Amino acid sequence: MTATAVEIRDLSKKFGATTALDRVSFTVPAGSVFGFLGPNGAGKTTLLRILTGLARPTSGTATVLGADLSAVDPTLRRRLGFLPDVPGFYPWMTAEEFLRFAGGLFGLDGATLTDRVTSLLELAGLAGVRTRVGGFSRGMKQRLGVAQALINAPELLLLDEPTSALDPIGRREVLEMIASLRGRTTVFFSTHILADVERVCDTVAILDRGRVAVSATVAELKKRATAERLTVEVDGDAAPLAGRIAGAPWLHSLTHEGSLLRLTVSDLAAASRALPEAIAALGLGLRRFESDEVTLEEVFVAIVGGGR
Amino acid sequence: MMGFTAFLGKELQEIRRTWRIWVIPGMLLFFGITSPIVALVTPALVESLAGSQPGMVIQIPDPTGMDGYGQFLKNLSQLVTLAIIIASAGLVSTERSSGTAQLVLTKPISRAAFLLAKLVAELLLLAVSTVVATAVCLGVSRLVFPPVAAGPLFAAIGIWLASAMLLVTVMLLCSVVFSSRGGAAGAGLGFSFLALLVSIWPPAVRYSFVGLGGAAAKVLGSQPAEVAWPLSTALVAILLVGYVAIRVFERQEL
Repeated sequence: MTATAVEIRDLSKKFGATTALDRVSFTVPAGSVFGFLGPNGAGKTTLLRILTGLARPTSGTATVLGADLSAVDPTLRRRLGFLPDVPGFYPWMTAEEFLRFAGGLFGLDGATLTDRVTSLLELAGLAGVRTRVGGFSRGMKQRLGVAQALINAPELLLLDEPTSALDPIGRREVLEMIASLRGRTTVFFSTHILADVERVCDTVAILDRGRVAVSATVAELKKRATAERLTVEVDGDAAPLAGRIAGAPWLHSLTHEGSLLRLTVSDLAAASRALPEAIAALGLGLRRFESDEVTLEEVFVAIVGGGR
Repeated sequence: MMGFTAFLGKELQEIRRTWRIWVIPGMLLFFGITSPIVALVTPALVESLAGSQPGMVIQIPDPTGMDGYGQFLKNLSQLVTLAIIIASAGLVSTERSSGTAQLVLTKPISRAAFLLAKLVAELLLLAVSTVVATAVCLGVSRLVFPPVAAGPLFAAIGIWLASAMLLVTVMLLCSVVFSSRGGAAGAGLGFSFLALLVSIWPPAVRYSFVGLGGAAAKVLGSQPAEVAWPLSTALVAILLVGYVAIRVFERQEL
């Protein structure tokens, strides 16, 4: 396994006058669970279609498992697993028949194929289901989609919105399954559900209107945002305090309500020194001084929400 | 070719387990059974109609097994040809619109193998159904008429089969080019109409596949017919159209 599973450099895709992807660049470390995050229509599916060879980039390069994307061929696809956003199945097949068919396309047969089909049916919660796929619910189809993407024990698993159609239990099971692959398989996982990324991903790229707004580890991203937000509570009216610190160079924004101040700051260290001093000077007592725990959702909204 | 066998197996299973088993094979079998019977009762029907018109007398010679064969060939050339256009119009476009093509083609199967498996399955279905239906037509014909030589029937149907195989290949290309079944069917009908139009030009009839229809009728009537050029150009056209379909499909984004 190479150190980098996916490397994308200045990749663009245009459909006529519409730019779906605009000079996208990022890397996916091998063995990681990579969250590819973005609102609907950001270009996530387009990028996955390019990575799987279903579409071609207008410009730029991409390397998948060490192979140049321009040479995507059936041999490289032996090492990939893919779940599209809306997986299409043959409605006349059963889940087991579809998995056998998918395995056959990878050249699997005999006991190996039987073992994998059995375990993946168990994993997808479809063991013993004799109904044809045409009668499946969307959630069942999604679970079958995840199972078929794993039939070849892929080195790189590309999942396009894998949890979007699942109920909470199904969602948890799929996320646990994804997390269990960490270290063995690289998982590239596109979604607009932030809680899912927060739950299982190591690294994340946020795509907004065809551009990568940020690419970092989840921990880094949250740390960056956490350091900028403070909540301060004093034992009296916070209005005089607000007036005293207004205009401080480290202060970005400030709201106050009763004894509570909410601040965003550019320099946490400077704010940590100045605020207690100002509180003491005003003769107030400090009840609470904390940097808030932010969710990835808040980071996401801060990054992509501004221009909307 | 990577993935070909697995995908061909899926195509054959699909034929067996869906409506596809009923359309072309069902029609062929239906005409295999009914064509000799229709030929048998046609004179009686015509005479009965003529009898209702005072003063009109139509004399029709007694039907023979050859009339049953002729009826069978006519049905194949018209109705079954139309059914082939409609049934094969969705060969690729349906897989594309349902998302199955995207799921399959991200696995180790080449687009060429995907198309070839579809073509082979469709041609197999057509060939086997035609042979069975022709044998049935022969059997029914021998039940209702005194036996006549079977050679011209098989030769004529063989020539029709070559033109039908070319049509299936053309429909494969149409289904690749057009995103909807309706668009592909329209293009297939356009191709058939164009071939019919060109068939009024004698050199085209003699030296190209458009002469296959006339050649089949002549062969059935034991008349001398030029078949080498029509058959060989049909084979070349099948290979060429199949190649173009593969190249177009390989360049498409899914």
